[in-house]
Amino acid sequence: MVNTEFLGLELANPIIVAAGPWGRDGKSIKRCLDAGAGAVVTESIVSDALADVRPRIAYDGQGAQNIRLYSDVQIEGWEREMEIAKSGGGVVIASVSASTPSELAYLAGKMERFGADAIEISVSNPMWESLEVIASHPDTVFEMTKEVVSYVNIPVMVKLSQNTTNISRVAKAVRAAGGSAVSAINTVRSILSVDIETATPTLATYGGYSGPPIRPLGLASVATIAQTVDIPICGIGGIESYKNALEYMMLGAAVVQIGTTVMIEGPEKITEIVHDFEEYCNAQGIDSVTAIKGKALSKLVSFDEMRIEPATSTVGSVPCDIDCDKCLKSCMYGAISREKGTIVVEEPLCNGCGLCTFTCPANKLKLDW
Amino acid sequence: MNIRQIAKRAEVSVATVSRVLNHPESVAAKTREKIEKIIAEEEYTPNWFARGLNFNKTGTIGLMIPHILDSVHMETAKGVEDVAHQKGYITFMCNAEEDEEKERRYLEQLIKRRVDGIILISSTLGEEAILNAMEQNVPIVFVGASKFNPGLSTVRVDCNQGAKTAVSHLVRNGRKKIAILVGNNPGSENRDKVEGYREVLAESHFPQREDYIMEVENSVEGGYLGAKKLMELAEPPDGIFATGDQIALGAMDAIKGMEISIPDAVAVVGFDNIRLANLVEPKLTTIDVPLHKMGVYGGRLLFDLIEGEEEENNRQILLQTKLKIRKSCGHKERIGEMF
Repeated sequence: MVNTEFLGLELANPIIVAAGPWGRDGKSIKRCLDAGAGAVVTESIVSDALADVRPRIAYDGQGAQNIRLYSDVQIEGWEREMEIAKSGGGVVIASVSASTPSELAYLAGKMERFGADAIEISVSNPMWESLEVIASHPDTVFEMTKEVVSYVNIPVMVKLSQNTTNISRVAKAVRAAGGSAVSAINTVRSILSVDIETATPTLATYGGYSGPPIRPLGLASVATIAQTVDIPICGIGGIESYKNALEYMMLGAAVVQIGTTVMIEGPEKITEIVHDFEEYCNAQGIDSVTAIKGKALSKLVSFDEMRIEPATSTVGSVPCDIDCDKCLKSCMYGAISREKGTIVVEEPLCNGCGLCTFTCPANKLKLDW
Repeated sequence: MNIRQIAKRAEVSVATVSRVLNHPESVAAKTREKIEKIIAEEEYTPNWFARGLNFNKTGTIGLMIPHILDSVHMETAKGVEDVAHQKGYITFMCNAEEDEEKERRYLEQLIKRRVDGIILISSTLGEEAILNAMEQNVPIVFVGASKFNPGLSTVRVDCNQGAKTAVSHLVRNGRKKIAILVGNNPGSENRDKVEGYREVLAESHFPQREDYIMEVENSVEGGYLGAKKLMELAEPPDGIFATGDQIALGAMDAIKGMEISIPDAVAVVGFDNIRLANLVEPKLTTIDVPLHKMGVYGGRLLFDLIEGEEEENNRQILLQTKLKIRKSCGHKERIGEMF
């Protein structure tokens, strides 16, 4: 058991299931809670769920594009769904999405009455907002958050978008409006691919991209917020193992959300990640997420604060019988050559960029000084 | 067999049986199924009138619409009816035809028939009629702007802002002689739109020409006649903003009939985004109003009051309008469009 306090709620663990079709009704939310999730966020509840578009989800083996990230259950129906969702206990966070503050507050108020433990405001839906998502306007986010915070008595978190120039400003607006936390990041506006035979995009409209390919974007957003605004953060984006969860936490997230991996691998994935995370913490003697939170941030500096080491590849010649030549091909400075079963690095030519240490499949190259 | 006997057989409270009848979704599946089974076995049919006596409810609401032939109101009426239907209610729909006296009589009739609540869409009723109705303790919810509203629960969009968006869009696209076709109803909403039109012209330092402000009947015919008159002016406009899509469609018909090109010679922008707007040639650029959603929220606010979820009848829900850029405005870039 790893102590987790988030939004003033005691969670069994910091692995939360994100808003999405895997939490579209009471039954599916309960399934996620039963699988061990610390909390589950409902699929985003909107004012008037009418259009059901098909097909709406595409997957390329790495990431997924979804063009309808909202619930097809009307708000009235959530009274019953929440009863089912919470019938075995557990924390349920209601995701609500709307285009005006009064509409948003109405939905949040209803979900509070239906038993939601907290609200997550979704103001960044790359698939059904215009090019300028609400989440890119701090003033609008402030108004919306404030209206919801003043209307409900449960904690309010706001889900931010990576499709914005300065995510910290938006996070600051959330804090100023009385929001208890931010979650980042929402899916990223995308087109998965184009079928060149028929000249047809995979799905008929723009959608939200999720999964491991957006993880680096999520990590950067979480770290940026953590370094600039004092507000609890829930990290989201491409988490598919306990290690990814730890990465987010080390960059400042108090808790994380998983989504696409649950969609692809099923709720068993929740059990696996929670189990692995707890096992890691036990082995490390960690009993609270605060011991991990932000641990890597001190090693993340701005570009002009970097201390530049005169590092180069000092390995000289290394025996190598893999003839992939990836290091040779990727050395933009012509410092690497191959001589009969050996890789030779000419140190004076090496510029210390470090790319070869990543391209080498056998991890044979290192930088030092 | 009455509700008390059903409750006794099911070993639940009368309130739970009542909830199964009124809001089955709020009762746990197992309990609900048990009660429903007993209701079926006993062939128990709740008598709406009797229930009215028991619970002081008749299971009916009144819906006042300005004009049954206007598809704008049909979308909203459907939103109200969707909610009412889900609640097991019957909706009495009254076609006020933008006639204050007719609307007043209908309102009285609805109250006499003991409806549990009333929704007034773009009401033309004055202070006396509204205050009289309020004395009868029937919850009233407004949808859209109305002639008199003493702060009761309301669902609306910002018509002034919507009109400003539409006219600014014409200005941005290089139109300098912009006229407005104003529907004569609903009054206060269209007045807000004219205000918005005037504000944008002033901000753009364009002259305000009274002959460019044309009040017409709120219909396709009105738009047809108004546009014809505008285009016959010595200096016809190069852009027309219509306060409703029906007016805009009529205007387009007139302009095409005069063999004037849309949007090259004159651009047209509407308001409402009715379904037909996307089917005319060129497709009509318009201000999208969440018509169905307005009805849905009207229904929600009313049932919150009927069911006692809200005690105070003063909830304000403002919904968003959006510029829907199509072809009739001559816009080439689609930045800002929702897609």
